[in-house]
Amino acid sequence: MNNYLIVAGIIFCIGALGVLMRKNLIIVFMSLELMFNAANLGFVAVSNRLNLISGDIFVIFVMVVAAAEAAVALGIIVAFYREKGTVDMDKANELKN
Amino acid sequence: MEALFYIFAFIAIFSALMVISMKNPLTSALYLVLCFFALAGFYVLLDMQFLAVMQILVYAGAIMVLVVLVIMLLNISRLNAVKTDFHQKIIGIIIAIVLFGEIVIYTVNGMTKKPTGIFTHSVINKIGNTQVIGNFLFTKYTLSFEIASILLFVAIIGAYLFAKKKL
Repeated sequence: MNNYLIVAGIIFCIGALGVLMRKNLIIVFMSLELMFNAANLGFVAVSNRLNLISGDIFVIFVMVVAAAEAAVALGIIVAFYREKGTVDMDKANELKN
Repeated sequence: MEALFYIFAFIAIFSALMVISMKNPLTSALYLVLCFFALAGFYVLLDMQFLAVMQILVYAGAIMVLVVLVIMLLNISRLNAVKTDFHQKIIGIIIAIVLFGEIVIYTVNGMTKKPTGIFTHSVINKIGNTQVIGNFLFTKYTLSFEIASILLFVAIIGAYLFAKKKL
């Protein structure tokens, strides 16, 4: 089970790295999905080890939230692109000065 | 079993790295689909076939189709023009390594709890994977289930509002 948690940790860190270093909104969104999936893998691994089922139920709810989040986030990306003509995150700087 | 685990782990980590390092978002999206399939393989190894199927249907199917559709709607040459800062990359790598160190420390030291549940491998296989999840979903977690339906409804309205011509 530790192996699964280590793999989940590696994928989570890769997702966090993607969120921190990329500026393309679509790739940031996909990195968020990677982090969701790493957390899901952790839930399933621990729940398998402790012989419980609650972790697996929670994964289903995470999937529901991720699907809702995907629809809204992609709507926001399309609206952002229509407003700015790009998907560069640094162009969203109206509040800066 | 062990060999399968390492194969899936290699595919998942490799494709995750490819997702964040590719310049073209479409290539990233296809590598992300590969990563989701590898994670579905992990779920099968952990006796959760239902979740593996859900992973492929919901993530690799629905969500990634949505992402690819949005990439199609936008101008691909402008998507590729977004550059990555060097100092941002360095700071990101440092933070990610620190985060991974913490995760490894807590994973190696923390897990001493003994198994407490009754759902062992044989019990789940005897009742059936989907039945176990369905029983819990419609008895103990009914309220969460209903709230999830409201959340999906709100998401429909939100997506419609954002995608409208005039914000």
